Amino acid sequence: MKALDITDLEKRYPNGVEALRSVSLEIEEGEFFGLLGPNGAGKSTLIHCTTGLAQPTGGSIEIFENDAIGHYAEARQAVGLAPQEPNIDWFLTVEETLDYHAGYFGMPRRERRERTEELLETFSLTEKKDERTRTLSGGMKRRLILARAMMHRPRLLILDEPTAGVDVELRLELWHYVQKINQEGTTILLTTHYLEEAEQLCDRIAFIAEGQIVAEGTSEALAERFDVANLEDAYLALVGRGELSRSHIEVTPEVEA
Amino acid sequence: MSAAQIRFATLWRREVNRFMKIKKQTIGAPLLETFLYISVFGAALGSRIDKLHGIDYVVFVIPGLIMMAWSTNAFSNNSSSILQQKFQGAIQDQLSSPASPAELLLAFSLGGFMRGLIVAVLTFIVSVLLVDLPVDHVLVLIPSLFLVGFFFSQLGVLIGVRAEQFDDVAFAQTFVLTPLIFLGGVFYSAALLPEPYETLTHFNPIYYMINLVRYGFVGYTEVSIALSLLALTAATAALFLVNLRLFSRGYRLRA
Repeated sequence: MKALDITDLEKRYPNGVEALRSVSLEIEEGEFFGLLGPNGAGKSTLIHCTTGLAQPTGGSIEIFENDAIGHYAEARQAVGLAPQEPNIDWFLTVEETLDYHAGYFGMPRRERRERTEELLETFSLTEKKDERTRTLSGGMKRRLILARAMMHRPRLLILDEPTAGVDVELRLELWHYVQKINQEGTTILLTTHYLEEAEQLCDRIAFIAEGQIVAEGTSEALAERFDVANLEDAYLALVGRGELSRSHIEVTPEVEA
Repeated sequence: MSAAQIRFATLWRREVNRFMKIKKQTIGAPLLETFLYISVFGAALGSRIDKLHGIDYVVFVIPGLIMMAWSTNAFSNNSSSILQQKFQGAIQDQLSSPASPAELLLAFSLGGFMRGLIVAVLTFIVSVLLVDLPVDHVLVLIPSLFLVGFFFSQLGVLIGVRAEQFDDVAFAQTFVLTPLIFLGGVFYSAALLPEPYETLTHFNPIYYMINLVRYGFVGYTEVSIALSLLALTAATAALFLVNLRLFSRGYRLRA
């Protein structure tokens, strides 16, 4: 079954900006899929259209065979979103943030309580559970957003630049966690600017530029497509900055020695 | 409970939790304000003003104060809650949930409604302790107050959805709502105003709401109760439908 089936998706904002132009994308259930592209390429718009935060102006989105507009309740029930910006409510505590989120997805009280405890523990937030979210550090907020996205056990987890600005430990912790839940069956759509992250985690990767999917495949296939050695060089070729390739950095004799 | 019931209860609980966490500001301050109005217009000025239409001045004023407490709190709660969540981005958590536009709208509406109800009930209790406040027509009073509360909840939602900055909410409250309430006859009888002010007051929708509530308490009105109730019901329903359309379209909520 396809976890996400996007066909000819278009999004034009009222100011005339065409953020997505006939985007088609298929992600199979259980897949770990990466979406890469420069800032402003349309990654977040695509995610927002998928999660109901933006309204497409054309095309269709199906999430586990549920139309994202016609059957939005079923479609959204299957999706967990960890957005790029920490969009948490300053008035709530850490525990309330998780509990309310699960409530929005119809989870019964006892199950919410157990799941909250489990995720507080998993994301090392137990000691912070009674603190208001506005007092959390950037890393803690990032953990909370990830825990919140997982609360209702989504079948499709969308991670929009989850490791942007986080320390090495948290990044590695996150890698381990998402790999684990992916192995357990959760489909993952990841956007990131860290190419090694995409290379290491993703089964398949798509490049998006100027609102269009320009290439799609495994990291090896993408490198082959752009006739370069690796994913990073393929990306640089995509954005027209091939001269920045590490292979062009001259190694001085002193360093070599 | 079904998933939909849990969803709605959570959305509503979140709204109530928000204002209860800052109750000094959301409950305490409006309560003190109303108490000060009663003290100034009742005890201080009221003793020098003769009865209005055979009713003690302070008793004449209190129904309007109770209505004002409910309406302003319902309005300000919803407008600021929605704008604040839009500002923080926290509203995305609710918008990306399976909740329907109607569930979201009703939950936001009931948050302000509840805050207005709490302040109004506390004002009523304080008033009863201070003066001999009758309740002459409870069957008019209860639906009138509920409709007023729901109308201003809807108005708060509308302004909160439309607003792009806190100034927009402050403008609506300071330059539109407060003058309409004050000029709607909370502190005086429009029948005693000289022309053209008496006629002009009849164009103020709040005037009819105050008269409904005043009639419910003390049995005095300057307008038709049946027509006013009908008009208020129609206006509340119309505002609800407008808001439902905005939520369904995602106007200024979804990109």
